[in-house]
Amino acid sequence: MTDTTIDTAPPEAPLPSPVRWVRDNLFSSVSNTVQTVAFTAVLLGLLRWVLGLVFADESNWVSVATNMRLLFTYNYPAEQFVRIWFAAGVLFVAVGASFAAWNINPSITLRRIGVSLMGTGGITLVVALITPSATPSGLRTAMWVLGVALVVIAAVVLRVIPEPHRRRVPFLGLLIGVSAIVCAIMWFVPFGDYGFSEGEPTAADGIVASSTRVPWTVLFIIMIATYVAGRGLAQVVSLAPLRRAMIAWWVIGPAFIVFMVLRDPEFDWAHIWSTDLPMAAGFALGGGALIYLLAAPGRSDLARVLGAIVAAAAVFNWVAAFFGWYPMLQKARFSFALAAIAILLVPNFAGERSARLRVAAVWAGFMVVFHWLLTGINTASTLDITAPPFLGGFVLTVSIAYYVMLASFPLGVLLSLARTSKLPIFRVLSTTYIEVVRGVPLITVLFFFSIMLPLFLPSGMGISDLAAVFAGYTVFSAAYMAENIRGGLQSVRRGQYEAADALGLTTVQRTSLIVLPQALRVSIPNLVGQAIATFKETSLIAIVGGFDLLRIANSTIPNQPDFLGQKRPALLFISLVYFVVAYTMSRASRNLENRLQAGQAR
Amino acid sequence: MSIADNALTDEMASRDDMIVCRGVKKWFGDFQALRGVDVTVKDREVMVVLGPSGSGKSTLIRCINRLEVHQEGDIIVDGVELTNDLRNIEKIRSEVGMVFQQFNLFPHLTVLDNITLAPIWVRKKPKAEAEAKAMELLERVGIPEQAAKFPGQLSGGQQQRVAIARSLAMEPRIMLFDEPTSALDPEMISEVLDVMKDLARGGMTMMVVTHEMGFAREVADRLVFMESGDVVEVGTPEHFFTNPQEERTKLFLSQIL
Repeated sequence: MTDTTIDTAPPEAPLPSPVRWVRDNLFSSVSNTVQTVAFTAVLLGLLRWVLGLVFADESNWVSVATNMRLLFTYNYPAEQFVRIWFAAGVLFVAVGASFAAWNINPSITLRRIGVSLMGTGGITLVVALITPSATPSGLRTAMWVLGVALVVIAAVVLRVIPEPHRRRVPFLGLLIGVSAIVCAIMWFVPFGDYGFSEGEPTAADGIVASSTRVPWTVLFIIMIATYVAGRGLAQVVSLAPLRRAMIAWWVIGPAFIVFMVLRDPEFDWAHIWSTDLPMAAGFALGGGALIYLLAAPGRSDLARVLGAIVAAAAVFNWVAAFFGWYPMLQKARFSFALAAIAILLVPNFAGERSARLRVAAVWAGFMVVFHWLLTGINTASTLDITAPPFLGGFVLTVSIAYYVMLASFPLGVLLSLARTSKLPIFRVLSTTYIEVVRGVPLITVLFFFSIMLPLFLPSGMGISDLAAVFAGYTVFSAAYMAENIRGGLQSVRRGQYEAADALGLTTVQRTSLIVLPQALRVSIPNLVGQAIATFKETSLIAIVGGFDLLRIANSTIPNQPDFLGQKRPALLFISLVYFVVAYTMSRASRNLENRLQAGQAR
Repeated sequence: MSIADNALTDEMASRDDMIVCRGVKKWFGDFQALRGVDVTVKDREVMVVLGPSGSGKSTLIRCINRLEVHQEGDIIVDGVELTNDLRNIEKIRSEVGMVFQQFNLFPHLTVLDNITLAPIWVRKKPKAEAEAKAMELLERVGIPEQAAKFPGQLSGGQQQRVAIARSLAMEPRIMLFDEPTSALDPEMISEVLDVMKDLARGGMTMMVVTHEMGFAREVADRLVFMESGDVVEVGTPEHFFTNPQEERTKLFLSQIL
């Protein structure tokens, strides 16, 4: 962390002396002193109680350490674990590249770092002082050493280095520092090596297994390298295409990871060559050509008529599927429906040749990805997994949460637009949907989708448990998203609509270019709140049969012969995992708001 | 010139009439905002609309690009009659620029993006061409150095000049101004009026709702005085400021001058 720079941009006031700070803030008056003493006593009592939970005799953290693999990936086959690491690697690369593409380069002053270190060191010393007697003596010694070391480092940063409030550590330095700390913990702290061997828990002294620490270290190095490379690339090429590529990746990439990397479908190449590939090429090229032709200026009427015809055909296809009139791959039905929507939207993208080519290319690329994904999903997995869902544990929690957010967001936008629409039919439909869903408990929706939905579907249109749960969450979350976005829509002033109208923008253009960008910006805090809620609500997946973090901690581990009835450590551990993820999202949203506000300061 | 000159008696509007309003009536609920307005603006003419607040002058010019929908009478803009046909409305709106009292710039876009948005999306211009044109317009309104800033970082007068540039980027044949200087601090009014004068000298057809009498006297070809949704008097600036005919006009002018 020697990568310091002196930055004049946002100056921070010099730090007052600690004695002065304590006197001004904690003991400024009699009542202030009484409050300080009382709340300190309460806080210490609470801390002692939590420490009692953590280090109590009956708490056996071995149950968590041994089951770490179970908690994160459930019964994913160990010999295929390279797939998990590969997936994590792809994600780390994407994170590094995204930070580089959006030039996320926050810097933090040395003073802030010093204050944080001082606080952490102080808390560590307090913990060492009041920790229960059951705490292993080695651990207690380690706490004393760590606490003293942190306080000494903090004192050096704050008192020896001149002007710590003006020296800033940029993001890259932070990234390297944090990664180094995480890696150092894995390489040097003797947690012990726990695991299962043929159903029996095994334990060995020393540091965590090399099968864990080596991949993690490599991942951190890859992420830093990607960030550096991305920054370098950004000096040479413009950022816009890089950003577009990253957005496309964040929409498609996770699907690729879950369905292709983790699930490893067993492709039937004969069928792919004879059916899937020609169909995808037909829709991509035929549809692209049609869109290119229809996007010429002055062909909007033709496009609307054709779009209406294709839409009618698509609806008829679904009706035919329901009654089983004629056979057709579901994929084709989906594609027809998408083509109808695309053709109806084409007049909004009409323009000169390059713009038309771009729209056609976007369609073709979308069709290729779409068909490829559906083919992957329809193909059996090669994984040797006994229980049907191939995802479990933390991986399941994160996957479901991510996809629900991704899918419910556009749905929520459409619902909120419909609810504020001038057309009564849309308004009534949307309001009914939102009010019905919001009036029903989530668990009812999940039961409905996992048990009732398959009964209503025609035979042959099976829907897997995971997909049903995903649909249930999406339907539920979209209603709440819609209400959050509606709040944002109402904050857009009428003058903005009028200015857009006066310039001759169409309704679609006005909505997508002027109204929504402003409305969504206002909605960010609420949308992130909803995302955090969704993330935590994934724990309900246990009720309809999934093995998520909570179910593993609450019933799988306590039923293992070696850890019978031991719930407390695992529950504490998953609470920490939930908290870390939710808190990260919350901080990210705050940073995003600040960034957007800085762009258009008033 | 008198009211009779302006009232259209025959069905055929003359060829150089850019805006023709005939018997335009408009209600907001029970309140009648326009009570049968007859106004004609000719090509390259600057028409200033005067009147006390609540007289319907803003409503009238907002009807001309159909931000408000009139219930009776005809409005013909550049030969196209305003009907409920969506394409007619969009066509007229792209031919008619409008500048608002509150600027109504898009706060999430830079100045340059504010100006190029409509040419790119409505006129389907290539981006480079639209940006070159936008810089030219910013040059013309005197703030090319602000192109990369966001509206919130500009003063009111600068924002209003950007708003004018944004309208001009669509190369409109008619410009409507709805009290363009009323929300500005006094020291910024002249910078906006200068731009408008320049525009008028260039031959733009303009319809301006304003309380700036100096501007009206200097730039207007004709003035309309409205009260309670009626056109009270129409005439040249000379006629208005030296020899108004109607009592209500005299009263209004004596209050404002």
